[in-house]
Amino acid sequence: MDAGRIQKELKEIERDKKSGVSVQLNGDNIHRLTGFLEGPKDTAYQGGYFVVDIKLEDQYPFVPPKMRFRTKVWHPNISSANGAICLDILKDQWSPALTLKTALLSLQALLASPEPDDPQDGVVASQYIKNQPLFQRTARQWTEQYATRELASQDDEKVLSITSMGFPREMALTALESTHGDVNAAINKLLESC
Amino acid sequence: MEDDSDYEDSYVASDVEDYPTSEDGDYGYDPQTEPEISMRRAAYTVLSEEELKLRQQEALQQVMQVLSISEGEAVRVLRHCKWDVNRVNEEWFADTEALRDKIGLVDEQPTGSGRRKESCGICFDEFWVSEMHAAPCNHSFCRGCWKGYVHTAISGGPAVLSLRCPLPDCSAAVPAALVTAVSDPKHREKYHLYSLRSFVEDNQRLEWCPAPGCENAVEALHEVSNEAMDVTCRCGSSFCFNCKEEAHRPVDCETVKKWIIKNSAESENLNWILANTKPCPKCKRPIEKNQGCMHMSCSQCKHEFCWLCLASWQEHGERTGGFYNCNKYESAKKRGDYDAESLKREHARVSLQRYMHYYQRWAENDRARSQALSSKAEANDKKLEVLSEFVATPTSQLKFILDAWAQVVECRRILKWTYAYGYYRFGDNIPDEDTAQKQQQGFFEFNQGQAEMFLEKLNGVVEKDLDNLVEEFKREPGLSEVAPDGSVFVDQASSPERQAVWSKFREQLIGLTEVTRMHFVKLVQELEKGLDQLLAFYSEQPEAEAEAEVEPAAVSTAEASGSATPAQQATAKAPKRSKRSRISSRAAADKASNSAAAFSLQEADSELEAEAGYWQCRRCTVINRDLNSQSCSMCAQNRRGPISAS
Repeated sequence: MDAGRIQKELKEIERDKKSGVSVQLNGDNIHRLTGFLEGPKDTAYQGGYFVVDIKLEDQYPFVPPKMRFRTKVWHPNISSANGAICLDILKDQWSPALTLKTALLSLQALLASPEPDDPQDGVVASQYIKNQPLFQRTARQWTEQYATRELASQDDEKVLSITSMGFPREMALTALESTHGDVNAAINKLLESC
Repeated sequence: MEDDSDYEDSYVASDVEDYPTSEDGDYGYDPQTEPEISMRRAAYTVLSEEELKLRQQEALQQVMQVLSISEGEAVRVLRHCKWDVNRVNEEWFADTEALRDKIGLVDEQPTGSGRRKESCGICFDEFWVSEMHAAPCNHSFCRGCWKGYVHTAISGGPAVLSLRCPLPDCSAAVPAALVTAVSDPKHREKYHLYSLRSFVEDNQRLEWCPAPGCENAVEALHEVSNEAMDVTCRCGSSFCFNCKEEAHRPVDCETVKKWIIKNSAESENLNWILANTKPCPKCKRPIEKNQGCMHMSCSQCKHEFCWLCLASWQEHGERTGGFYNCNKYESAKKRGDYDAESLKREHARVSLQRYMHYYQRWAENDRARSQALSSKAEANDKKLEVLSEFVATPTSQLKFILDAWAQVVECRRILKWTYAYGYYRFGDNIPDEDTAQKQQQGFFEFNQGQAEMFLEKLNGVVEKDLDNLVEEFKREPGLSEVAPDGSVFVDQASSPERQAVWSKFREQLIGLTEVTRMHFVKLVQELEKGLDQLLAFYSEQPEAEAEAEVEPAAVSTAEASGSATPAQQATAKAPKRSKRSRISSRAAADKASNSAAAFSLQEADSELEAEAGYWQCRRCTVINRDLNSQSCSMCAQNRRGPISAS
């Protein structure tokens, strides 16, 4: 993988602070990054702070980055269960001339304009079409409850609490992911596999 | 030069060898009304990899010249039009701009000066413009990034042939020259392979030979229909051009497909595929849905469709009841379309027993065919030479034994498929009142039985009888011994007794081979005609036969010149009998043409028989020495007539 390109991408994101998106390296591993984006204004997601898991394959940027919301989101194109995203540029419409920044900005745009015609989460999409006010309420409630900077940093604290035991950061992330954020379960899992 | 090779490699495949194979529709057959006849004549060519490349190049050159476009553009256009040069011309001249847009051909953009630096849009490093590459849209990227882009696309499969510029929203096609210029030899080779494969796979008239390790393709020399068409590749394997399964005349492809799926030992695998994949509605490649929403887009042909109802995604919208809950699917489910499917499966389980009956016979014949194939090879390798010494005959004159084996192999194949046919043609329980169906089943089973009986007999003679004969010869060795006085050689091999035994065997085997062949030809013809038509035909037979046999030449002339056949005239005279007459006229026309064909066949037969000094009964195979007699001295079978039941 072209580490130079990723360094350049990170630098560019760092430089442009106003964009509302940022990316953070997880230790030395450039295959796993964490993205952050602010909820777009005048939407149910306004004020929210969303965390996105990013995985890069060796062929990146010639294959799309794998992205998933770690923060729970109520949105027709995002799975309310596991954060999976239905977005064309993360699939067959990816182009190597796109970047992590443009991809995160596209996620932001997706939050602003849901595409219920191409749903990832049928229940949410159904609600979006049939009962717009209820959808707005739920989305706002989820944003207030889950998409907070505290939770994002707590998430980070969880990782820290595991890495402080001597586990590498990426292992901590994988374990937390598989236990849906349960620190104790994650530690048990890591100890078992030792 | 092409013409020569064409000529050499062309086969006019015809299982019914005695049928005239001229293409100009002798005997007045109209392929529209008699598809089963056109099916018999399948003209095709076998092309090697080199020849394929030449063909591809020819097509490219032609398009490049006519449309004055570059080779890269010609490839795109041809691929879009399934390598059909005529279609290219049509589409191109109908709306050039639309076509160019559709396949991403853009006019060459002016390039700036090469003596300046520009940032590559992928790796963001700076490069001299002169060192960067671009598609005709002139969006430049550095060589390394192009390489990564192209290699990833090549690893992604044949879709690389429609590669577009890496810039989002730019639809310019990446020319093949650029792909090959930036890729390494391994990927380049793969790209060329995809290109050649596209030439064969997108082209309706070309099919790869499915034999393992064979790299030839077969080209059909006429419009391809969706009917079974047996072809034989230069490598020796026979397959159906339409469905790529082994050759299976007279059974149609649908039956074969169903049968093979049914027999699949990997039924578990199959269950998985059935349960977890659906074929792309456009390109038919199986697709597994392992994540995400119901909006599918095929990774190869890019077709977008709904996973539930398989209709194009464009037809989906709020109008049709929403996307997350496909209404088409729901209403079809309510209508019971999907229940019918499960009922059908249930039914198949119930009929397992009947299936076993047919399957065992199918498998038995399949096995017997493989055995016959190896026996034939064995005979060719060893037996003939041994025999040659025993009967003082050169091996070249013993070819009739190999012919007999070849006939056994071919017949086993046909017989095998008639069991698949029988399984699907007749239901589990034919109700007693359905006499037509009963009659057809009886008729089919009778013909199958007849063919099988002769095949078993032929197999027995060429295998057991021949072995016994050889054993017998061994007991009295052919090579002579030195007589006590030291001078006389007794050549047992050329003794009159042995020659008599041998020539009798020879006659019997040749005759039997021919009779068996005839029976199977008949069986194939009959099944291709369809049983219902056939019964109608036989019920009209005596009349039609008389008509046709009075003046077969006149009938064929009349038909060839396009005037009405006697039967058609009869229809014209008696319009009230319309339905029945139509059947009758059709049957008569059939019969007339059959007779006309049979007439030339008879002439050929007579000559051969005169040469041999005898004729052999078609039914009981006895040798009749009286060349003027028209019925068999043993069983009274008509010498030229259809074989009657004994």
